[in-house]
Amino acid sequence: MAEPIISIRGVHKYFGRVHALRGLDLDIARGEVVVIVGPSGSGKSTLLRCINRLENYDRGKIVVDDIPLDSARNINAVRREVGMVFQSFNLFSHLTVLNNLMLAQRVVRKRHPDEARQTALDLLDKVGIPDKADAKPAQLSGGQQQRVAIARALAMNPKVMLFDEPTSALDPEMIKEVLEVMLALAAEGMTMAVVSHEMGFTRAAAKRVIFMDEGQIIEQAPPDVLFNNPQHERTRQFLGKILSH
Amino acid sequence: MVCSMSTPDRPQIPQEELDHIPGAEPSTRIDAWWWLVALIVGITALLLFAWPDPFMNIFKFVQDGIVITITVTLVSFVLVLVVGMVGGLGRLSTNRAVYIISTLYVELVRGVPLLVQLIIWYFAVPVMIQSLGKAWAIPALEGFQADPVVMAIIGLVFCYGAYMSEIYRAGIQSIPRGQMEAARSLGMTYFQSMRHVVLPQAVRVILPPIGNEFIALLKDSSLVSVVAVADLTRRGREYASIHFDPIEVWMLVALLYLIMTLFSARVVNWIEKKTKFER
Repeated sequence: MAEPIISIRGVHKYFGRVHALRGLDLDIARGEVVVIVGPSGSGKSTLLRCINRLENYDRGKIVVDDIPLDSARNINAVRREVGMVFQSFNLFSHLTVLNNLMLAQRVVRKRHPDEARQTALDLLDKVGIPDKADAKPAQLSGGQQQRVAIARALAMNPKVMLFDEPTSALDPEMIKEVLEVMLALAAEGMTMAVVSHEMGFTRAAAKRVIFMDEGQIIEQAPPDVLFNNPQHERTRQFLGKILSH
Repeated sequence: MVCSMSTPDRPQIPQEELDHIPGAEPSTRIDAWWWLVALIVGITALLLFAWPDPFMNIFKFVQDGIVITITVTLVSFVLVLVVGMVGGLGRLSTNRAVYIISTLYVELVRGVPLLVQLIIWYFAVPVMIQSLGKAWAIPALEGFQADPVVMAIIGLVFCYGAYMSEIYRAGIQSIPRGQMEAARSLGMTYFQSMRHVVLPQAVRVILPPIGNEFIALLKDSSLVSVVAVADLTRRGREYASIHFDPIEVWMLVALLYLIMTLFSARVVNWIEKKTKFER
């Protein structure tokens, strides 16, 4: 594997007495799309949130783009380069769509308003809602909100995008429009770590699927290998549950 | 939470129909309680002009007190908004020392009556400063003279800042965690996220209690009359003790306070309505 952009070594995380991550090792290469699957409570979201340190971990080491996550300064530096998309969208509800996309560009990247606005409008065009720039988030459908959230993260020109169950809160007819944006992003060569059980997306875009259970990586392989020929019993049981429908 | 649930199946009434509902026309949608303000102003004006002696005499005597009351209230309130924000953030701080200091401040200050606090600030604190100046031989402190208005404002701000801290804390806590997380994930610092994302939303939530605090502060400012501030209440007392007509004096003073508080309540109500649907 080429020099990884994300390197996770021996990461442990406790929630009180619950051992949520049990010594995880994971490398993600530049341009790679990784999908993380696993049962509820297996630690997949926690792992994702550790990569941009929204969650503190108790032991181990994470390095993103040669920056170790060990000081407040470095954490902010990593967050500038790592975009995140949440299950519940988390758009800034007091701001218009345009200002949602412009805020961090202005405050963090110190971009000129004209430049920030142009970037925002281009991205809204890219995610297919150029006419909603002046709408408030509450006026948008879930699928539109999530596409705005993706555009907001992209406006920072991230090197890595993290997706934490991006379609789990969406109605079925809106899932497709979000997945299409994610597929286009993957096709452009964006490095992506995705927690999702969307099998269509995984088969089409993922280079590697990681199966997690009880805070550990049980096995990892390209999607067709893992789905058709799982090596572990636990993987087989889990896939049986999610592939049967 | 029932009242805030959305009702998607409510029929959409077109604007032109809405305009024909009596009282719903935009121009006539004036809060009915404004009439109460008008009524009290009318009664006061009637007293002043129908019986200039004693009412106009009283009014002329106390009018500089009205200015003091309004000034003390407004200056204190602006400072309370700042102290409350700092205190509220302190109460939510993960820094142990900051949390303990701000919690001690809130808990201790809320437990002592405002009147006692004002007396401490005006009568006890200056003596403390003077004796410290004597002990350390600092002439500037030794000759410290307390200005009644300044000490009164400090006292009001110190006390109301504690109440306001709790209002800010509740407001900030009412904003979903995801807002802060989204801001942080974009690389914004804690304070940038607070300033641009969380606080603007929290302030909308706490507008009603902030309005209540303003009106309470306006009324409680009458307590500063005890510590040598010539506010409306103190000027009323001075007039009454000279002319021996307590009924007329205190009736007029109460009406003047009512005009200020009812007017403030309407303004608060108007601001609330304006911001209500923008969330």
